[in-house]
Amino acid sequence: MLLRILSSELLKIRRKLIWFLVVLGPLGAVGLQIVNYGLRWDYLVRPEKASELWSDAIQSVESLALPALLIGLAIIASMTAGIEHQMNAWKMTLALPVKKRHVFAGKFLLTSLLLLVSCVLLAIFTYIFGSVLNSMIGLHGPVPFGELLRASFYPYLAAMPLIALQSWLSVTMHNQAVPLTVGIVGMIVTMFGAYRFPDWVPYKWPALVNTWPHPLYAVGAGLALGSIVLLLGMGEFVRKDVK
Amino acid sequence: MTLTMNTELILETQGLTKRLGGKPVVNGVNLQIGRGDIYGFLGPNGAGKTTTIRMLLGLARPTNGAIRIFGKDIRKERLAILRKVGSLVEYPSYYGHLNAVENLEAVRRLLPGVPKSRIDEVLSIVRLTNDARRAVKGYSLGMKQRLGIATALLGDPELLILDEPTNGLDPAGIQEIRELIKSLPKTSGVTILISSHLLSEVEQMATRVGIIAKGNLIYQDSIERLREQAQGRIRLGVSDPESAWQMLLSYGYPAEWDRSKLTVGQTDDRTVASIVSRLVNHHFQVYRVEEEHASLESIFLEMTGSEGSL
Repeated sequence: MLLRILSSELLKIRRKLIWFLVVLGPLGAVGLQIVNYGLRWDYLVRPEKASELWSDAIQSVESLALPALLIGLAIIASMTAGIEHQMNAWKMTLALPVKKRHVFAGKFLLTSLLLLVSCVLLAIFTYIFGSVLNSMIGLHGPVPFGELLRASFYPYLAAMPLIALQSWLSVTMHNQAVPLTVGIVGMIVTMFGAYRFPDWVPYKWPALVNTWPHPLYAVGAGLALGSIVLLLGMGEFVRKDVK
Repeated sequence: MTLTMNTELILETQGLTKRLGGKPVVNGVNLQIGRGDIYGFLGPNGAGKTTTIRMLLGLARPTNGAIRIFGKDIRKERLAILRKVGSLVEYPSYYGHLNAVENLEAVRRLLPGVPKSRIDEVLSIVRLTNDARRAVKGYSLGMKQRLGIATALLGDPELLILDEPTNGLDPAGIQEIRELIKSLPKTSGVTILISSHLLSEVEQMATRVGIIAKGNLIYQDSIERLREQAQGRIRLGVSDPESAWQMLLSYGYPAEWDRSKLTVGQTDDRTVASIVSRLVNHHFQVYRVEEEHASLESIFLEMTGSEGSL
């Protein structure tokens, strides 16, 4: 049943510029770094730092991809839910023989799936960017795939509670200004407050900085809390009367 | 108030009640709809029609009471029921950026066992085949409403629930939707519940009527029974009607005088003839004897109270 819902959801986002945003996020993060490296080539690519070239490239892309992910998850959650709000389609969808919790889960899954596609693209674009950078100064060392994949996917997994929360808010509220505001404030909190908060604050997790010296803490906590928020949202959605 | 025993009940509610903020919006409603009925669900705006329909579709939870559709309890077997129900609730729901085929396909993917070819079928039933590839946001309200009916028909339902399907349409659009709905039971044997705030809109197609006002179901019976209530009166044009009225009353005729016209409730030929001869014998001059028909609409307004006319 979830697969049927997901296939219906994928059909509904045609011609909505959502796929454009999915590509724009990672492309923007890498594109801006290309400009950055082009402008500050002599400073960023120094022979004595050649061994750190890959790490630097990955980290610099990651520093831009993180805000893109945080704002992107709020926008995409809002757009996918907005399709139903706009023309009052909730009552139509929910009068079909589908379980209400599956409809809710469908919106969450669609949002996470689209963001996952963004992360895959991010990994690919970063790989191309790093490879070109290395070959330009004649380096052909091993590619640090572990670091590349961690930088591309860990923030996404650690952001699961935020994806679930934004998805929930966007589905429950007709006025999308509220969830979007929450999402934007959330991004600002993560970008500027990540180092100041204690480890248990979820808005800190996507930045992958915690006192426990392994980013897996953020990933594990993110997946766990993400599931809980998803279930809470589902429970509320199932109980509520449809507008 | 009950259906004959040999009709199978498709939909039945018992004491259906919905309170919003402590105030009953729907109050102890007992609907009974038999197989093959076209049930006109009538009431002024705000009487509780849409709230009732939302509960029938499982979109809203009743505060009290039970709903049985196809003999199944909506609380326990919602999915099994909805598989055989097509619905259109209030203003149309659609995805404006998609065309009609994509709109129907998005719904079809949620309906188990409905083939893709069914999309063309329902589009031709509502005559949208020629506009099927246009984005729905460019449709007129009538076309959107027809698309809504096509969506409702997609799963080949046994019960079709249409909430105010002609709301906001111009007379031509209303006519078109009415013809469409009238043709459905013949072609597909479907039972239809159709709500409206205008009796005139459903009286030509409904076989049974339920009237709801202020949350209470105040009438439920066949349309013929409602027509009987709309039976005419005889209006008498005579000289000195007031004394003629007193004379007729003294002979036991159900005459009424409202200071402008004299009427008699009994309309069979023998009564009318005897009334006329009494009048002549008492030297009243008889100018006119004419039959007056109360419209269904006026009965409806009388039943639903003053808010119906506002």
